[in-house]
Amino acid sequence: MNRNNHTKSWLIVPLILFMSSCDPFGYNRPHVEPPIEVGEVEGWAPIYATEKVAGTIASIDAQPIVKGGKIYVKGNILYQVETGKGIHVINIADGNNPQKVKFIQVTGAQEMAVLGNNLYTNNVNDLVVLNISDYNNVQVLDRVSGVFHLVDGTVPPNAGYFECVDASKGVVVGWEPKTLYNPVCQKF
Amino acid sequence: MKSLKYIVLVAIIAFAASCDKALNTSGGVAEPGVIDGGGTGQGGSLARFTIAENHLYVVDDLKLHTYSLANPSAPQLKSTQTLGENIETIYAYKDKLFIGSQTAMYIYSIADASRPAKLGTASHVRACDPVVANDSVAYVTVRSGTNCGGAQNALFVYDIQHLLSPVEKNVVPVESPWGLGMAGNVLFVCNGTNGMSVYDITNRYQPKLKQKYYDDTYYDVIPYNDMLICMVEGGMLLYELKADGQIVKLAKISG
Repeated sequence: MNRNNHTKSWLIVPLILFMSSCDPFGYNRPHVEPPIEVGEVEGWAPIYATEKVAGTIASIDAQPIVKGGKIYVKGNILYQVETGKGIHVINIADGNNPQKVKFIQVTGAQEMAVLGNNLYTNNVNDLVVLNISDYNNVQVLDRVSGVFHLVDGTVPPNAGYFECVDASKGVVVGWEPKTLYNPVCQKF
Repeated sequence: MKSLKYIVLVAIIAFAASCDKALNTSGGVAEPGVIDGGGTGQGGSLARFTIAENHLYVVDDLKLHTYSLANPSAPQLKSTQTLGENIETIYAYKDKLFIGSQTAMYIYSIADASRPAKLGTASHVRACDPVVANDSVAYVTVRSGTNCGGAQNALFVYDIQHLLSPVEKNVVPVESPWGLGMAGNVLFVCNGTNGMSVYDITNRYQPKLKQKYYDDTYYDVIPYNDMLICMVEGGMLLYELKADGQIVKLAKISG
């Protein structure tokens, strides 16, 4: 009994030395991965959504353009994708005074095209067809799943550095360009 | 990024008569608020979706997916074909598709619209590379960088009169090219933080730099009738597009 206690006490000494002298959790240690620090670089960051909203498509009030994505025009209506989130609908009949009309929420949206009153876009990796004859009441006409693969949940669309995916933030529904500082994750 | 048109009045008319893609939407200025009910619109040169010949074409990283829009409300998948790696953009002109990958431009015929058939390929250095084209010329921008690979920033000019074998005619150095758009005898090239370059392409294969605009950070552009629509940092910028190719800033859409 006495011998055991003595052994444990002895172990405290190296433990204290370890804790006090060598930055055991690596806060001050230089990063070794990636081996070469790249500093500030052009890269990608995941766009997250909760599972619940991922399939929801709805026309809502006009929203601020945060990171405007791809653009499309037909007649007097100009569209800009808010990557991962939906589509801004803007009336440009008067080019000096463009007016936001509505925002069509489409999780994962990245691409779009219009034929007649039908708008084709991607709801993450599903092709969806929306009836846009009334922007106040956009209807989902069809959905085609399992064909294209526009959004990958683990890596960005192009090779390069990216902000590592944090599953606690939700599911990845898109990727946006972002300036990164010493990123750890890289797609080759 | 990917597509477009316009310019000198005569050229506009000639263009409208000869090009069945971009100008089939609204010939003139429609009544404000009236939504054009027919036809298709125009995307940018960075697009992965395009509609042509009553079909929707979608490119993902590796493949071209073709959907018939015979019933526009219920697209039918007609074919899927593997193209190559790192596909980024698709641009339709008449019965051709121009597809940009990080290493090449592919030309496909859509004479049989549900089954695109490969015609020619023009390989280039590894880079990001939207395409615009017409009957005789294809312009491809290549941008290097950590997301794109490569080390070259340039505008490539290809003679595509022989679709099976595009011929590289010119390589014009550009700072940091993104999307591009063609309208008549003018070519607009977005240059990110380095502005937007406007080239005179009266001689199709010898683009001549005419002007540069520094109103914003430019990523893509669509010439559309009498308007030039630019995708810029945080939104869009509208310009009036004049018959002589000059542009006049109208409004910024952001926030």
